[in-house]
Amino acid sequence: MLPDRLVSYSIAGALVVPHFLGAHDHPWLRSLLEEHERFVGRRQRDLDARLRQPLPCESPPGKLKLALEVLRRLQRGQRNAGMVPPRRARAMVFLGAAGTADAPAAVLAKVAASLGVTASDLRDSLFADLPGERLVGAPGQPVSAVELALRGNLALVQRLLSHATVLRIDVEGNTRVLVRHTKWRGLICAVAEQIGQDGASLEISGPFALFRNTRLYGRALGELIPLLAWCPRFRLQAECVLDGRRLTLQLASGDPIFPASPPRQYDSRTEERFARDFRRLAPEWDILREPKPITADRTLIFPDFALQHRSDPGQRWLLEIVGFWTPDYLARKLASYREARVARLILCMDADRNCADTDLPPGALVVRFRRRVDAEAVLRALRSVENADGGRRGTGDVVSGHGDRRILDAGHGVQTDHDAS
Amino acid sequence: MLADAPNGVNFAAAPGVLWDHRVCAYRAPASKYSALKRWLLAAGVRFEDISNRPRYAQAAWSDVDLRTYQEAALSAWELAHRRGVVALPTGSGKTRLALAAMQRTQLSALCLVPTRVLLEQWSKEISAVYRGLIGCYGDGVRRVAPVTVATFEGAYRHMNELGGRFDLLVVDEVHHFGGGLRDEALEMAIADARLGLTATPPRDPGTATCLRELMGPTVFELAVADLAGGFLASFDVITLYLDLSSEERSAYANLSAIFRGVYADFRRAAPEANWADFSRHSACTSAGRRALAAWRQMRRLLSFTHAKQRALRSLLERHRDSKVLVFTADNDTAYAIAREHLIMPLTCDISRPERADVLEHFRRGDLRALVSARVLNEGLDVPDADVAVVVGGALGEREHVQRIGRLLRPSEGKRAIAYELVTRDTIEVGQARRRRRGLATRSSGQL
Repeated sequence: MLPDRLVSYSIAGALVVPHFLGAHDHPWLRSLLEEHERFVGRRQRDLDARLRQPLPCESPPGKLKLALEVLRRLQRGQRNAGMVPPRRARAMVFLGAAGTADAPAAVLAKVAASLGVTASDLRDSLFADLPGERLVGAPGQPVSAVELALRGNLALVQRLLSHATVLRIDVEGNTRVLVRHTKWRGLICAVAEQIGQDGASLEISGPFALFRNTRLYGRALGELIPLLAWCPRFRLQAECVLDGRRLTLQLASGDPIFPASPPRQYDSRTEERFARDFRRLAPEWDILREPKPITADRTLIFPDFALQHRSDPGQRWLLEIVGFWTPDYLARKLASYREARVARLILCMDADRNCADTDLPPGALVVRFRRRVDAEAVLRALRSVENADGGRRGTGDVVSGHGDRRILDAGHGVQTDHDAS
Repeated sequence: MLADAPNGVNFAAAPGVLWDHRVCAYRAPASKYSALKRWLLAAGVRFEDISNRPRYAQAAWSDVDLRTYQEAALSAWELAHRRGVVALPTGSGKTRLALAAMQRTQLSALCLVPTRVLLEQWSKEISAVYRGLIGCYGDGVRRVAPVTVATFEGAYRHMNELGGRFDLLVVDEVHHFGGGLRDEALEMAIADARLGLTATPPRDPGTATCLRELMGPTVFELAVADLAGGFLASFDVITLYLDLSSEERSAYANLSAIFRGVYADFRRAAPEANWADFSRHSACTSAGRRALAAWRQMRRLLSFTHAKQRALRSLLERHRDSKVLVFTADNDTAYAIAREHLIMPLTCDISRPERADVLEHFRRGDLRALVSARVLNEGLDVPDADVAVVVGGALGEREHVQRIGRLLRPSEGKRAIAYELVTRDTIEVGQARRRRRGLATRSSGQL
């Protein structure tokens, strides 16, 4: 993470406005990249000395330092130019000097002779591994001025968010990626549906934020930023404490931030294999990853898949794979589905979870699995229901009363609740 | 978190408890765990404690012998209900005191240390008297055991995993807490027994109060002078006042004029403000930035003046048969001295394995001198140095006390000497006076 001294922003009322690198900075960023390339293989301190002089285009000093730091982090491992490995040189020279009353020059000459190098080379080797003495390396991959600007902006925002206590994000699409990240990082994420809109509102903070304006979660909050680029639309407000003042940082889709690499499409191999198997087995069905979340009480549930018949969109099922989770998590998840009372829900349950049938949501079709979800069993189950129902219900319908719960052990056909008991 | 809290109980009165609307439950910081349990019992509330119960350190401990003052310190801590800070000078065996606390209480213990070097050092010391597995959190390792050592940073990041597992919290160099930075690490631990160790307890009332809340009061304190000549070596501090060359004086005067003009204006406008306020304020104006730049250049100029170079050469020559530590204000000066006098530098740029090798050579006497800016300031076990030359310092009295402490490991007939190089008629005079004041209040006629 960037040091605070490289973070440049201004304050407008209660808002903190980051000084982004933009198109107007691209000319000097290009000059910087050219200079950097020219110094590849030379000492870092020579490049530092060059950059203390002006570039051909005017470059704001604060932004230049930011860009330099980002560029430095993109470099491959830096080599040093010592004729003698520096650690060996130090051991021989300093131990040699301690054991004699000779003058330093004489010690250097004696050690250099024993190593077969000149005293000057030996002197240069002594600290050739210090940051300023290492050789400038090329970035791991070619970097353009545009990319350097975007990476600088990401680093800037992430550093500002290290001072954040809570994030509020209104987001459309790809919400699941954000929620998954917050869960993984131990944050608390309250998700609410946006009334009348096709999105969700997230309020993200850490457990300890209840007691103090802690920076404990700043790094985890900052990690969300590159993920936002994969949400078609978002608006973010972060409450930050900077210099003792409570300020708000705002970001929205279109802000020039470097995106994360594409988020993983599947949470697990189990999901990935199921999607692949299902596509192969049922070409007449679409399998949609991460369908629109559904409301349960005051929160949202994110089903893993929606299965929709191509020629009859009314045949649409939500599918959730419940794999290896803690009992508490499972209980909460099932309670949410019971609360949501969603029709046409398929729950693929890990057979080792030992879940009681009474815990399952009414109307859900349950397919138990071990290690691999049997796509054929899922298809068989939903076809049998569709044939029986004649396509009367649509997804999102609320189940009235306690409908039959159908439980299927993979490969054993469909059973009713009564049969299963 | 208090899940499914019963109705009819006023949880607002419970210690540390707040309503967490995000999860619709009552929540309290882990540090209130014991107090909250007592409150619940006193209030007659039936509850199930589903916290991750601490495990006991059952592996065998060897006896840990203590000196008389260490025994007294441990007793004071026990009498304070195993909660408090012990302040002892550098080199007086604080780690050993902590080992005795762990051995005698037999509690599962989490030891927090400021650096990765100290992580290794503590693990090594514990392994000498404890035969069980020693956990480690820091330096890329995450291993929990009934006795675990963690860096401050490792604990700060992972206290949600560690905080509920230990009954005893030992914090080395505890003066780093209380100022707000990483204090959460102590608040997120359920350990009721807490032992803080320091050579330099904080003096700022706000920090001291906060530290008292986190760790308990200072239960035992000894100054350098209380132990010098007995358990610690006797020592002398000699201040050498030096002059700037005419070129240096002229440059210094110019820089000083730029700085003082802006600083004086600021002090007039905000007499109560501190240096941090000045830095923040100055960064917003071009005159302020120039003043800060001038300040930095003044510091750089004073860091290793011609007179200091000559004085250091002379002192190294005079004490060429002694073990000498040279302390500088910054790494650049340390490297300059290393190049000129062929003295091994110990800085943050030198890898830890190499540092360990260097210290071993110094211990054996193969190396007679080391030069360092900050690495040797705190905690590192540096044996048997008997001369220190303070060429410059940046961190005030605490740093000075820690540096002098490096000389105080006792040996037969030892009398250590610390030289301070101070440039006349510069900001160094005031700095030296302030840091000596810090040392003097912790000692007596020995100085």
